[in-house]
Amino acid sequence: MIEIKKLHKNFGDLQVLKGVDLTLKPGEVVSILGGSGSGKSTMIRCINGLEGITSGSIFVDGFDVSNKKELLEVRKKCSTVFQQFDLYPHLSVLENITLAPVYVLSSSKKDAEAIALDLLDSVGLADKKDVFPAQLSGGQKQRVGICRALAMRPDYLLLDEVTSSLDPEMTAEVLDILKKLAREGITMISVTHEIEFAREISDRIVFLDQGRILSDLPKDEFFAGDGGLADPRIARFLSKMGEFNGQA
Amino acid sequence: MGYGDEGFTIYDLLLWAEGLGITLWIFILSTVIGLVLGVLIGLVRYYHITILGKLLMIVSESLKNSPVIVQLFLVYFGIPALLQIDMTPNMAAVITLSGNTAAFVAVIVISSIESIDRRQLEAARSFALPKLVILRHIIFPQSLSIAMPMLVSLAINQLQVTSLVSVIGVIDLTRVGDIVNQRTFEPFIVWPLIGLTYFILAKLIAIVGMRLERKFSAYRLVGEL
Ligand SMILES: Nc1ncnc2c1ncn2[C@@H]1O[C@H](COP(=O)(O)OP(=O)(O)OP(=O)(O)O)[C@@H](O)[C@H]1O
Ligand SMILES: [Mg+2]
Repeated sequence: MIEIKKLHKNFGDLQVLKGVDLTLKPGEVVSILGGSGSGKSTMIRCINGLEGITSGSIFVDGFDVSNKKELLEVRKKCSTVFQQFDLYPHLSVLENITLAPVYVLSSSKKDAEAIALDLLDSVGLADKKDVFPAQLSGGQKQRVGICRALAMRPDYLLLDEVTSSLDPEMTAEVLDILKKLAREGITMISVTHEIEFAREISDRIVFLDQGRILSDLPKDEFFAGDGGLADPRIARFLSKMGEFNGQA
Repeated sequence: MGYGDEGFTIYDLLLWAEGLGITLWIFILSTVIGLVLGVLIGLVRYYHITILGKLLMIVSESLKNSPVIVQLFLVYFGIPALLQIDMTPNMAAVITLSGNTAAFVAVIVISSIESIDRRQLEAARSFALPKLVILRHIIFPQSLSIAMPMLVSLAINQLQVTSLVSVIGVIDLTRVGDIVNQRTFEPFIVWPLIGLTYFILAKLIAIVGMRLERKFSAYRLVGEL
Protein backbone atom coordinates (compact mmCIF):
# COMPACT_ATOMS: atom_id res chain seq x y z
CA MET A 1 0.00 0.00 0.00
CA ILE A 2 1.21 3.50 -0.82
CA GLU A 3 0.13 6.05 1.78
CA ILE A 4 0.70 9.72 1.16
CA LYS A 5 -0.27 11.96 4.07
CA LYS A 6 -0.36 15.76 4.17
CA LEU A 7 2.42 15.90 1.60
CA HIS A 8 3.93 19.34 1.11
CA LYS A 9 6.68 20.07 -1.35
CA ASN A 10 8.28 23.45 -1.84
CA PHE A 11 10.95 24.52 -4.28
CA GLY A 12 12.37 27.50 -2.44
CA ASP A 13 9.45 29.87 -2.04
CA LEU A 14 7.30 28.03 -4.55
CA GLN A 15 4.75 25.75 -2.92
CA VAL A 16 4.13 22.99 -5.42
CA LEU A 17 2.30 20.41 -3.32
CA LYS A 18 0.10 21.81 -0.57
CA GLY A 19 -1.11 18.93 1.55
CA VAL A 20 -1.76 15.91 -0.66
CA ASP A 21 -3.42 12.83 0.84
CA LEU A 22 -3.59 9.74 -1.31
CA THR A 23 -3.77 6.03 -0.68
CA LEU A 24 -3.15 3.32 -3.23
CA LYS A 25 -4.15 -0.22 -2.37
CA PRO A 26 -2.59 -3.30 -3.94
CA GLY A 27 -4.20 -4.07 -7.29
CA GLU A 28 -5.55 -0.57 -7.74
CA VAL A 29 -5.00 1.53 -10.82
CA VAL A 30 -5.17 5.24 -10.14
CA SER A 31 -4.89 7.91 -12.79
CA ILE A 32 -3.75 11.40 -11.90
CA LEU A 33 -5.15 14.19 -14.01
CA GLY A 34 -4.44 17.87 -13.70
CA GLY A 35 -3.29 20.93 -15.53
CA SER A 36 0.28 21.69 -16.40
CA GLY A 37 2.27 22.73 -13.36
CA SER A 38 -0.26 21.30 -10.91
CA GLY A 39 2.44 19.12 -9.33
CA LYS A 40 1.76 15.70 -10.84
CA SER A 41 5.36 14.93 -11.75
CA THR A 42 6.55 16.32 -8.44
CA MET A 43 4.23 13.94 -6.61
CA ILE A 44 5.56 10.93 -8.53
CA ARG A 45 9.13 12.09 -7.90
CA CYS A 46 8.42 12.33 -4.19
CA ILE A 47 7.21 8.73 -4.12
CA ASN A 48 10.40 7.31 -5.63
CA GLY A 49 12.55 9.71 -3.65
CA LEU A 50 13.90 11.73 -6.56
CA GLU A 51 12.64 14.79 -4.69
CA GLY A 52 12.87 15.09 -0.93
CA ILE A 53 9.59 15.98 0.75
CA THR A 54 9.15 19.24 2.63
CA SER A 55 6.66 17.92 5.17
CA GLY A 56 4.10 15.19 5.56
CA SER A 57 4.88 11.55 4.91
CA ILE A 58 4.96 8.86 2.26
CA PHE A 59 5.00 5.20 3.23
CA VAL A 60 5.23 2.31 0.79
CA ASP A 61 4.27 -0.98 2.43
CA GLY A 62 5.37 0.58 5.70
CA PHE A 63 8.70 1.86 4.39
CA ASP A 64 9.31 5.57 4.89
CA VAL A 65 10.67 7.38 1.80
CA SER A 66 12.29 10.06 3.92
CA ASN A 67 14.49 7.47 5.63
CA LYS A 68 17.59 6.82 3.53
CA LYS A 69 17.74 3.06 4.19
CA GLU A 70 14.01 2.53 3.80
CA LEU A 71 14.02 4.55 0.58
CA LEU A 72 16.04 1.74 -1.00
CA GLU A 73 13.25 -0.70 -0.16
CA VAL A 74 10.72 1.76 -1.54
CA ARG A 75 12.69 1.99 -4.76
CA LYS A 76 12.84 -1.78 -5.08
CA LYS A 77 9.07 -1.90 -4.74
CA CYS A 78 8.27 0.96 -7.10
CA SER A 79 9.44 1.08 -10.71
CA THR A 80 9.06 4.26 -12.71
CA VAL A 81 8.46 4.68 -16.42
CA PHE A 82 9.56 8.13 -17.56
CA GLN A 83 8.10 10.59 -20.02
CA GLN A 84 11.38 10.91 -21.95
CA PHE A 85 12.18 7.17 -21.63
CA ASP A 86 15.57 7.98 -20.07
CA LEU A 87 17.18 4.75 -21.18
CA TYR A 88 20.94 4.33 -20.77
CA PRO A 89 22.15 5.26 -24.27
CA HIS A 90 25.43 3.34 -24.16
CA LEU A 91 23.88 0.01 -23.20
CA SER A 92 22.07 -2.39 -25.48
CA VAL A 93 18.35 -2.87 -25.04
CA LEU A 94 18.98 -6.10 -23.15
CA GLU A 95 21.60 -4.49 -20.88
CA ASN A 96 19.24 -1.59 -20.17
CA ILE A 97 16.74 -4.07 -18.82
CA THR A 98 19.13 -6.34 -16.90
CA LEU A 99 21.29 -3.70 -15.17
CA ALA A 100 19.10 -3.15 -12.12
CA PRO A 101 18.03 -6.80 -11.67
CA VAL A 102 21.70 -7.84 -11.70
CA TYR A 103 23.02 -5.14 -9.38
CA VAL A 104 20.01 -4.51 -7.16
CA LEU A 105 18.22 -7.84 -6.95
CA SER A 106 21.49 -9.79 -7.37
CA SER A 107 19.95 -11.93 -10.09
CA SER A 108 22.41 -13.94 -12.13
CA LYS A 109 23.07 -12.46 -15.55
CA LYS A 110 21.52 -15.52 -17.14
CA ASP A 111 18.28 -15.31 -15.17
CA ALA A 112 18.04 -11.56 -15.72
CA GLU A 113 18.50 -12.02 -19.45
CA ALA A 114 15.90 -14.75 -19.63
CA ILE A 115 13.37 -12.53 -17.87
CA ALA A 116 14.33 -9.55 -20.04
CA LEU A 117 13.85 -11.61 -23.20
CA ASP A 118 10.42 -12.75 -22.04
CA LEU A 119 9.45 -9.14 -21.38
CA LEU A 120 10.81 -7.97 -24.71
CA ASP A 121 8.92 -10.75 -26.39
CA SER A 122 5.70 -9.67 -24.69
CA VAL A 123 6.05 -6.16 -26.10
CA GLY A 124 7.10 -7.41 -29.53
CA LEU A 125 10.72 -6.31 -29.38
CA ALA A 126 12.59 -9.59 -28.97
CA ASP A 127 14.50 -8.93 -32.19
CA LYS A 128 15.79 -5.59 -30.88
CA LYS A 129 17.60 -6.96 -27.85
CA ASP A 130 21.09 -6.14 -29.10
CA VAL A 131 20.59 -2.67 -30.55
CA PHE A 132 21.29 0.64 -28.82
CA PRO A 133 18.40 2.92 -27.77
CA ALA A 134 19.40 5.40 -30.51
CA GLN A 135 18.34 2.78 -33.04
CA LEU A 136 14.76 2.60 -31.75
CA SER A 137 11.68 4.67 -32.47
CA GLY A 138 10.11 6.60 -29.60
CA GLY A 139 7.40 4.00 -29.11
CA GLN A 140 9.95 1.21 -29.10
CA LYS A 141 12.08 3.11 -26.58
CA GLN A 142 9.12 3.48 -24.27
CA ARG A 143 8.28 -0.19 -24.59
CA VAL A 144 11.86 -0.92 -23.51
CA GLY A 145 11.32 1.58 -20.67
CA ILE A 146 8.32 -0.46 -19.56
CA CYS A 147 10.33 -3.70 -19.75
CA ARG A 148 13.12 -2.09 -17.72
CA ALA A 149 10.59 -1.16 -15.05
CA LEU A 150 8.88 -4.57 -15.04
CA ALA A 151 12.16 -6.48 -14.89
CA MET A 152 12.46 -5.34 -11.28
CA ARG A 153 9.27 -7.26 -10.49
CA PRO A 154 7.86 -4.13 -8.88
CA ASP A 155 4.86 -4.10 -6.57
CA TYR A 156 3.96 -0.66 -7.87
CA LEU A 157 4.40 0.93 -11.25
CA LEU A 158 4.71 4.73 -11.43
CA LEU A 159 3.99 6.26 -14.82
CA ASP A 160 4.55 9.92 -15.60
CA GLU A 161 2.95 10.88 -18.90
CA VAL A 162 4.62 7.97 -20.57
CA THR A 163 3.08 8.68 -23.95
CA SER A 164 3.24 12.45 -24.13
CA SER A 165 6.41 12.52 -26.19
CA LEU A 166 5.02 10.03 -28.70
CA ASP A 167 2.97 10.46 -31.83
CA PRO A 168 -0.57 8.94 -31.82
CA GLU A 169 0.40 5.69 -33.47
CA MET A 170 3.22 5.03 -31.03
CA THR A 171 0.99 6.20 -28.19
CA ALA A 172 -1.48 3.49 -29.09
CA GLU A 173 1.14 0.74 -29.08
CA VAL A 174 2.38 1.79 -25.64
CA LEU A 175 -1.10 2.25 -24.17
CA ASP A 176 -2.11 -1.21 -25.37
CA ILE A 177 0.70 -2.70 -23.33
CA LEU A 178 -0.27 -0.71 -20.25
CA LYS A 179 -3.93 -1.70 -20.61
CA LYS A 180 -2.87 -5.33 -20.69
CA LEU A 181 -0.80 -4.83 -17.53
CA ALA A 182 -3.73 -3.16 -15.80
CA ARG A 183 -5.97 -6.09 -16.69
CA GLU A 184 -3.38 -8.48 -15.28
CA GLY A 185 -3.80 -6.75 -11.94
CA ILE A 186 -0.63 -4.67 -11.58
CA THR A 187 -0.85 -1.79 -9.13
CA MET A 188 -0.14 1.55 -10.70
CA ILE A 189 -0.26 5.29 -10.47
CA SER A 190 -0.44 6.86 -13.87
CA VAL A 191 -0.13 10.54 -14.60
CA THR A 192 -1.71 11.07 -17.96
CA HIS A 193 -3.37 13.48 -20.36
CA GLU A 194 -5.03 10.60 -22.17
CA ILE A 195 -8.57 10.80 -20.80
CA GLU A 196 -9.85 7.82 -22.74
CA PHE A 197 -6.96 5.73 -21.50
CA ALA A 198 -7.60 6.85 -17.92
CA ARG A 199 -11.27 5.97 -18.28
CA GLU A 200 -10.40 2.54 -19.59
CA ILE A 201 -7.79 1.40 -17.08
CA SER A 202 -8.48 3.24 -13.83
CA ASP A 203 -10.26 2.20 -10.70
CA ARG A 204 -9.98 5.72 -9.37
CA ILE A 205 -9.27 9.11 -10.84
CA VAL A 206 -7.51 11.80 -8.87
CA PHE A 207 -7.65 15.37 -10.04
CA LEU A 208 -4.82 17.60 -8.95
CA ASP A 209 -5.07 21.37 -9.15
CA GLN A 210 -2.36 23.80 -8.01
CA GLY A 211 -0.86 21.33 -5.59
CA ARG A 212 -4.12 20.18 -4.02
CA ILE A 213 -6.33 17.20 -4.69
CA LEU A 214 -9.55 18.61 -6.05
CA SER A 215 -11.27 15.27 -6.34
CA ASP A 216 -10.49 11.64 -5.71
CA LEU A 217 -13.33 9.54 -7.07
CA PRO A 218 -14.05 6.05 -8.32
CA LYS A 219 -13.93 6.15 -12.09
CA ASP A 220 -17.68 5.76 -12.55
CA GLU A 221 -18.43 8.73 -10.34
CA PHE A 222 -15.76 10.86 -11.94
CA PHE A 223 -17.12 10.30 -15.41
CA ALA A 224 -20.81 10.05 -14.42
CA GLY A 225 -23.14 11.68 -16.91
CA ASP A 226 -21.06 12.92 -19.80
CA GLY A 227 -20.05 16.50 -19.07
CA GLY A 228 -22.03 16.44 -15.87
CA LEU A 229 -18.99 16.65 -13.66
CA ALA A 230 -19.36 18.03 -10.19
CA ASP A 231 -16.54 20.51 -10.42
CA PRO A 232 -16.56 23.02 -13.26
CA ARG A 233 -12.76 23.26 -13.19
CA ILE A 234 -12.49 19.55 -13.92
CA ALA A 235 -15.05 19.86 -16.67
CA ARG A 236 -13.09 22.73 -18.19
CA PHE A 237 -9.91 20.73 -17.96
CA LEU A 238 -11.51 17.71 -19.53
CA SER A 239 -12.96 19.69 -22.38
CA LYS A 240 -9.56 21.21 -23.01
CA MET A 241 -7.99 17.78 -22.99
CA GLY A 242 -10.73 16.61 -25.32
CA GLU A 243 -9.78 19.29 -27.80
CA PHE A 244 -6.15 18.42 -27.38
CA ASN A 245 -6.78 14.75 -28.08
CA GLY A 246 -9.00 15.66 -30.98
CA GLN A 247 -6.27 17.64 -32.64
CA ALA A 248 -3.55 15.05 -32.07
CA MET B 1 76.23 14.82 -43.96
CA GLY B 2 78.93 15.91 -41.55
CA TYR B 3 82.62 15.56 -42.15
CA GLY B 4 85.76 14.67 -40.21
CA ASP B 5 85.51 14.24 -36.45
CA GLU B 6 82.33 16.19 -36.35
CA GLY B 7 80.29 13.82 -38.56
CA PHE B 8 77.40 11.64 -37.44
CA THR B 9 78.31 8.31 -35.87
CA ILE B 10 76.42 5.23 -34.85
CA TYR B 11 76.76 6.62 -31.35
CA ASP B 12 74.38 9.44 -32.31
CA LEU B 13 71.77 6.87 -33.21
CA LEU B 14 72.16 5.27 -29.79
CA LEU B 15 71.90 8.66 -28.19
CA TRP B 16 68.74 9.34 -30.19
CA ALA B 17 67.25 6.04 -29.06
CA GLU B 18 68.12 6.82 -25.47
CA GLY B 19 66.57 10.28 -25.66
CA LEU B 20 63.47 8.81 -27.28
CA GLY B 21 63.28 6.26 -24.47
CA ILE B 22 63.50 8.94 -21.78
CA THR B 23 60.92 11.10 -23.52
CA LEU B 24 58.55 8.16 -23.88
CA TRP B 25 59.12 7.04 -20.31
CA ILE B 26 58.41 10.50 -18.90
CA PHE B 27 55.43 10.92 -21.18
CA ILE B 28 53.83 7.56 -20.43
CA LEU B 29 54.49 7.66 -16.69
CA SER B 30 53.22 11.21 -16.26
CA THR B 31 50.20 10.50 -18.46
CA VAL B 32 49.20 7.44 -16.44
CA ILE B 33 49.76 9.15 -13.08
CA GLY B 34 48.10 12.33 -14.36
CA LEU B 35 45.07 10.36 -15.58
CA VAL B 36 44.59 8.59 -12.27
CA LEU B 37 45.05 11.76 -10.22
CA GLY B 38 42.94 13.83 -12.59
CA VAL B 39 40.06 11.35 -12.48
CA LEU B 40 40.23 11.29 -8.67
CA ILE B 41 40.23 15.10 -8.49
CA GLY B 42 37.34 15.22 -10.95
CA LEU B 43 35.32 12.71 -8.92
CA VAL B 44 35.99 14.47 -5.62
CA ARG B 45 34.76 17.60 -7.32
CA TYR B 46 31.73 15.92 -8.87
CA TYR B 47 30.58 14.35 -5.63
CA HIS B 48 31.02 17.68 -3.85
CA ILE B 49 33.44 16.47 -1.22
CA THR B 50 33.75 20.15 -0.46
CA ILE B 51 36.91 21.04 1.44
CA LEU B 52 39.05 18.52 -0.39
CA GLY B 53 37.48 19.46 -3.71
CA LYS B 54 38.13 23.17 -3.24
CA LEU B 55 41.71 22.57 -2.17
CA LEU B 56 42.42 20.31 -5.13
CA MET B 57 40.77 22.77 -7.49
CA ILE B 58 43.00 25.61 -6.26
CA VAL B 59 46.04 23.42 -6.83
CA SER B 60 44.92 22.36 -10.28
CA GLU B 61 43.96 25.91 -11.28
CA SER B 62 47.45 27.11 -10.36
CA LEU B 63 48.98 24.24 -12.31
CA LYS B 64 46.95 25.03 -15.41
CA ASN B 65 47.65 28.74 -15.26
CA SER B 66 51.40 28.87 -14.69
CA PRO B 67 54.22 28.09 -17.12
CA VAL B 68 55.41 24.49 -17.05
CA ILE B 69 59.02 25.69 -16.96
CA VAL B 70 58.34 27.57 -13.74
CA GLN B 71 56.69 24.46 -12.30
CA LEU B 72 59.70 22.38 -13.30
CA PHE B 73 62.10 24.74 -11.54
CA LEU B 74 59.86 24.84 -8.49
CA VAL B 75 59.70 21.07 -8.21
CA TYR B 76 63.36 20.48 -9.07
CA PHE B 77 64.85 23.15 -6.83
CA GLY B 78 62.02 23.87 -4.42
CA ILE B 79 60.93 20.46 -3.18
CA PRO B 80 64.46 19.19 -2.27
CA ALA B 81 65.15 22.41 -0.36
CA LEU B 82 61.79 22.31 1.39
CA LEU B 83 61.62 18.63 2.27
CA GLN B 84 65.35 17.92 2.54
CA ILE B 85 65.20 15.10 0.00
CA ASP B 86 67.17 14.27 -3.12
CA MET B 87 65.50 14.78 -6.45
CA THR B 88 66.79 13.63 -9.81
CA PRO B 89 65.89 15.65 -12.91
CA ASN B 90 63.86 12.70 -14.22
CA MET B 91 61.86 12.49 -11.00
CA ALA B 92 61.19 16.21 -11.06
CA ALA B 93 60.08 15.93 -14.67
CA VAL B 94 57.62 13.12 -13.96
CA ILE B 95 56.23 14.84 -10.87
CA THR B 96 55.73 18.15 -12.64
CA LEU B 97 54.16 16.72 -15.77
CA SER B 98 51.93 14.36 -13.79
CA GLY B 99 50.55 17.27 -11.78
CA ASN B 100 50.13 19.36 -14.87
CA THR B 101 48.36 16.57 -16.77
CA ALA B 102 46.16 15.82 -13.74
CA ALA B 103 45.01 19.44 -13.63
CA PHE B 104 43.82 19.31 -17.24
CA VAL B 105 42.36 15.81 -16.90
CA ALA B 106 40.30 16.94 -13.89
CA VAL B 107 38.66 19.66 -15.97
CA ILE B 108 37.96 17.23 -18.80
CA VAL B 109 36.49 14.68 -16.37
CA ILE B 110 34.17 17.22 -14.77
CA SER B 111 32.93 18.66 -18.05
CA SER B 112 32.39 15.17 -19.50
CA ILE B 113 30.43 13.96 -16.50
CA GLU B 114 28.33 17.11 -16.54
CA SER B 115 27.45 16.66 -20.17
CA ILE B 116 25.78 13.31 -19.45
CA ASP B 117 22.00 13.54 -19.52
CA ARG B 118 20.99 13.86 -15.86
CA ARG B 119 17.62 12.22 -16.29
CA GLN B 120 19.02 8.77 -16.99
CA LEU B 121 21.00 9.08 -13.74
CA GLU B 122 17.77 9.83 -11.91
CA ALA B 123 16.20 6.84 -13.61
CA ALA B 124 19.09 4.70 -12.39
CA ARG B 125 18.68 5.99 -8.84
CA SER B 126 14.96 5.35 -8.96
CA PHE B 127 15.75 1.67 -9.55
CA ALA B 128 17.82 1.62 -6.34
CA LEU B 129 21.11 1.19 -8.20
CA PRO B 130 24.01 1.92 -5.83
CA LYS B 131 26.18 5.00 -6.46
CA LEU B 132 29.22 2.93 -7.38
CA VAL B 133 27.31 0.87 -9.95
CA ILE B 134 25.95 4.07 -11.48
CA LEU B 135 29.49 5.46 -11.60
CA ARG B 136 31.02 2.32 -13.05
CA HIS B 137 28.32 1.28 -15.51
CA ILE B 138 26.60 4.52 -16.53
CA ILE B 139 28.73 7.57 -15.80
CA PHE B 140 32.15 6.12 -16.59
CA PRO B 141 31.52 4.65 -20.05
CA GLN B 142 29.61 7.68 -21.28
CA SER B 143 32.02 10.26 -19.95
CA LEU B 144 34.91 8.27 -21.37
CA SER B 145 33.27 8.45 -24.76
CA ILE B 146 32.76 12.20 -24.44
CA ALA B 147 36.22 12.80 -22.96
CA MET B 148 38.17 10.71 -25.46
CA PRO B 149 38.79 13.40 -28.13
CA MET B 150 39.81 15.90 -25.42
CA LEU B 151 42.11 13.36 -23.75
CA VAL B 152 43.75 12.55 -27.06
CA SER B 153 44.52 16.17 -27.84
CA LEU B 154 45.73 16.70 -24.28
CA ALA B 155 48.08 13.71 -24.67
CA ILE B 156 49.47 15.07 -27.92
CA ASN B 157 49.98 18.44 -26.28
CA GLN B 158 51.65 16.93 -23.22
CA LEU B 159 54.01 14.99 -25.49
CA GLN B 160 55.27 18.30 -26.87
CA VAL B 161 55.47 19.74 -23.35
CA THR B 162 57.89 16.96 -22.34
CA SER B 163 60.51 18.73 -24.46
CA LEU B 164 60.70 21.43 -21.75
CA VAL B 165 62.20 19.02 -19.22
CA SER B 166 65.61 19.43 -20.86
CA VAL B 167 65.98 22.75 -19.00
CA ILE B 168 66.45 20.95 -15.69
CA GLY B 169 68.98 18.60 -17.22
CA VAL B 170 66.89 15.60 -18.33
CA ILE B 171 68.55 13.94 -21.35
CA ASP B 172 65.35 13.64 -23.34
CA LEU B 173 64.89 13.66 -27.10
CA THR B 174 65.20 17.45 -27.33
CA ARG B 175 68.34 17.52 -25.20
CA VAL B 176 69.84 14.79 -27.41
CA GLY B 177 69.11 16.98 -30.41
CA ASP B 178 70.94 19.81 -28.70
CA ILE B 179 73.95 17.64 -27.85
CA VAL B 180 74.27 16.16 -31.33
CA ASN B 181 73.76 19.53 -32.94
CA GLN B 182 76.48 21.14 -30.85
CA ARG B 183 78.90 18.46 -31.88
CA THR B 184 78.04 18.13 -35.57
CA PHE B 185 76.90 21.69 -36.38
CA GLU B 186 74.22 20.25 -38.62
CA PRO B 187 71.05 22.00 -37.35
CA PHE B 188 69.19 21.45 -40.61
CA ILE B 189 69.62 17.74 -40.33
CA VAL B 190 69.38 17.29 -36.57
CA TRP B 191 66.30 19.38 -35.78
CA PRO B 192 64.10 18.15 -38.64
CA LEU B 193 64.90 14.57 -37.57
CA ILE B 194 64.08 15.33 -33.93
CA GLY B 195 60.93 17.13 -35.03
CA LEU B 196 59.95 14.20 -37.23
CA THR B 197 60.34 11.84 -34.26
CA TYR B 198 57.89 13.93 -32.20
CA PHE B 199 55.58 14.13 -35.19
CA ILE B 200 55.51 10.36 -35.63
CA LEU B 201 54.85 9.83 -31.92
CA ALA B 202 52.01 12.36 -32.03
CA LYS B 203 50.55 10.64 -35.08
CA LEU B 204 50.67 7.30 -33.31
CA ILE B 205 48.80 8.75 -30.35
CA ALA B 206 46.24 10.26 -32.72
CA ILE B 207 45.70 6.97 -34.53
CA VAL B 208 45.29 4.95 -31.35
CA GLY B 209 43.08 7.73 -29.98
CA MET B 210 40.86 7.65 -33.05
CA ARG B 211 40.40 3.88 -32.70
CA LEU B 212 39.43 4.26 -29.05
CA GLU B 213 37.14 7.16 -29.83
CA ARG B 214 35.31 5.12 -32.41
CA LYS B 215 35.00 2.16 -30.08
CA PHE B 216 33.67 4.17 -27.15
CA SER B 217 31.21 6.25 -29.15
CA ALA B 218 29.64 3.45 -31.19
CA TYR B 219 26.39 3.91 -29.28
CA ARG B 220 26.17 7.57 -30.26
CA LEU B 221 26.97 7.06 -33.91
CA VAL B 222 24.57 4.21 -34.69
CA GLY B 223 21.55 6.48 -34.67
CA GLU B 224 23.00 8.55 -37.48
CA LEU B 225 23.61 5.64 -39.83
N1 LIG C 1 13.34 21.16 -9.53
C1 LIG C 1 12.45 22.18 -9.52
N2 LIG C 1 12.84 23.39 -9.09
C2 LIG C 1 11.98 24.42 -9.05
N3 LIG C 1 10.69 24.34 -9.45
C3 LIG C 1 10.26 23.15 -9.91
C4 LIG C 1 11.11 22.02 -9.97
N4 LIG C 1 10.40 20.98 -10.46
C5 LIG C 1 9.16 21.44 -10.70
N5 LIG C 1 9.05 22.75 -10.36
C6 LIG C 1 7.86 23.58 -10.45
O1 LIG C 1 6.82 22.91 -9.76
C7 LIG C 1 5.60 23.09 -10.41
C8 LIG C 1 4.96 21.75 -10.65
O2 LIG C 1 5.76 21.03 -11.57
P1 LIG C 1 5.39 19.55 -12.04
O3 LIG C 1 6.43 19.17 -13.00
O4 LIG C 1 5.17 18.71 -10.86
O5 LIG C 1 4.01 19.79 -12.78
P2 LIG C 1 3.14 18.78 -13.62
O6 LIG C 1 1.82 18.72 -13.00
O7 LIG C 1 3.86 17.51 -13.78
O8 LIG C 1 3.04 19.54 -15.00
P3 LIG C 1 3.07 18.97 -16.51
O9 LIG C 1 1.70 18.50 -16.83
O10 LIG C 1 3.45 20.16 -17.31
O11 LIG C 1 4.10 17.89 -16.55
C9 LIG C 1 5.88 23.89 -11.66
O12 LIG C 1 5.57 25.23 -11.41
C10 LIG C 1 7.35 23.72 -11.87
O13 LIG C 1 7.90 24.84 -12.50
MG1 LIG D 1 4.84 16.50 -15.39
